[in-house]
Amino acid sequence: MIVCLVSLLFWAGVALVCVFVGHHAWGWPRESFIRGERLTTIAVASLVGAALAAAGVTYQAVLRNPLAEPYLLGVSGGASLMAYLAAVSAGGLASWLEPLGQQSAAFIGAIAALAVVMLLSNRRGRLEPVTLLLVGVIVSAICGAVYLLIYHLNLRREVTFGTGGPFRFLVGAINTNLTHQQIATAAGIIAAGWGVLLFYAGQLNVALLSEAEAEALGVRIHRLRWIVLIVASLITAAAVAVSGPIGFVGLVCPHVARLIVGSDTRRLLPVASAFGAALLAMADAVSRSASTLTYGPLPVGVLTGLLGGPFFLFLLWHRTARSARALSSS
Amino acid sequence: MTLLQAHSLRFSYGVQPILNSVSLSLAAGEVVALLGPNGSGKSTLIKLLLGHLRGEGAIEWEGKDLNRWSKRDLARRVAYLPQSPMFETDQTVEEALRLGRAPYWGAFGLESERDVSVVRQISVLLGLDSLLQRQMDELSGGQRQRAFIGRCLAQEPIAMLLDEPNTFLDLRHQVELCRLLQKLATDKSIGVLMASHDLNLAGAFADRILLLHEGNLVADGKPGEVLQADLLTRVYGVPMERIERPMGLPLVVPIA
Repeated sequence: MIVCLVSLLFWAGVALVCVFVGHHAWGWPRESFIRGERLTTIAVASLVGAALAAAGVTYQAVLRNPLAEPYLLGVSGGASLMAYLAAVSAGGLASWLEPLGQQSAAFIGAIAALAVVMLLSNRRGRLEPVTLLLVGVIVSAICGAVYLLIYHLNLRREVTFGTGGPFRFLVGAINTNLTHQQIATAAGIIAAGWGVLLFYAGQLNVALLSEAEAEALGVRIHRLRWIVLIVASLITAAAVAVSGPIGFVGLVCPHVARLIVGSDTRRLLPVASAFGAALLAMADAVSRSASTLTYGPLPVGVLTGLLGGPFFLFLLWHRTARSARALSSS
Repeated sequence: MTLLQAHSLRFSYGVQPILNSVSLSLAAGEVVALLGPNGSGKSTLIKLLLGHLRGEGAIEWEGKDLNRWSKRDLARRVAYLPQSPMFETDQTVEEALRLGRAPYWGAFGLESERDVSVVRQISVLLGLDSLLQRQMDELSGGQRQRAFIGRCLAQEPIAMLLDEPNTFLDLRHQVELCRLLQKLATDKSIGVLMASHDLNLAGAFADRILLLHEGNLVADGKPGEVLQADLLTRVYGVPMERIERPMGLPLVVPIA
């Protein structure tokens, strides 16, 4: 409870600071139009960040792999490809159905990518951590390639995109021109999914043990795995459907949170989510203020990639070093 | 009081039979050692008794069929320690002990007052109270094994099934662990079933020995009756000798 409250306060503080950061000028926005726009952007960024971080915590716990996260597992890639397809083929759909269609397309893509990744990295019922990531990254790359192919096939045709540019599902960005339905749908799905994950947080602690131990502690581990993998993919899909795939938030935030509160999922989930929300809101504010240097606003995915990529390499190096030490000492 | 009754258990991986018609029982306050060479079916038997594997035959815990127990209820009665339990490297001893309360947690993994007090009692009982904030990977093998026993005890079980708990322990810690299990059996009348490779240690601490050979239960009785040179020679495939001692139990040793 206290952990939840402190995390919430932390996020609120960061979000407040972000309100002061604008496209061209710093300071409290006087016009209500700009204020509204900034608040919406911050809300969406926070939502997406929290969702990705929560999904990261879940994947790491249930796959017993500290390097797992939605982007590297290909879940984001699959979701963005399908969301893009939905956006390209949309237009005939009624406008209120569009966000729903896009969400469910993203969800199908997320689940399909996860299924492919898990199938291909499955060796006699065991998931090899490194294989899992390799397959995930490759699935991600294939999704990206197919994405570009479709984009180029559609170049000649006049395709109007409901919101955002044609690349908005390739490099993640917080778009300012989302409809209220889109935001509401994403918020609803993410809030519900987050609640479910928190409900199972205690059992996720037990999932860190071996299957037999988890069963002996009264956790129906296979059922748990299915439920939380699907829910985590669902909230990833909901986030990707509004922002495109934003990398490494799901990796960095759980690890930073773990340094502070330890590996207890019950505390990790709220703290990491708050970090994710704050990080993405902040990154988005930075990219907004940097837009004077670049032509047009910098997609926030570029920033998180720059930040998260090296962090991932550090983790990988640290882990290999540690297991090498363990090997040489035993 | 009988905790466990198992009748004619059979299990096979594909066409490969692992267990042929094994029957056994476990009573409260009893330490039973499960002996047999590698591949004789010790681990499989323990997994069957827990319901982790499904085979043929009838298993009853406290007179109720295993299939009618929910996972959660069974976890409040029966604790299990595998041969090499898993732990997170940055997990503290306290966190490891608290995991044992998982079968009692409410929704969202909320812990009750009782969960906290049980963990405190157990840490005092096992002399872990000074180690609570230490990380699991900083502990010695003996301390870590005690923490795992503590996790089992946090389940407040009536029975404990342990799969070769002595494997990675030195002589002193092996003896200490066996003493601890014996004490738990006597004081808390927990039924202990322990798979082991150490015949003499089992002989010294167990009330009863079960001997498995190629999936068959070839002996079930007091240590003095089961640890016979000819029987062990046949089961283990090495010539064995029994050395009688003026005081204490006889020793069985392989002859090189």
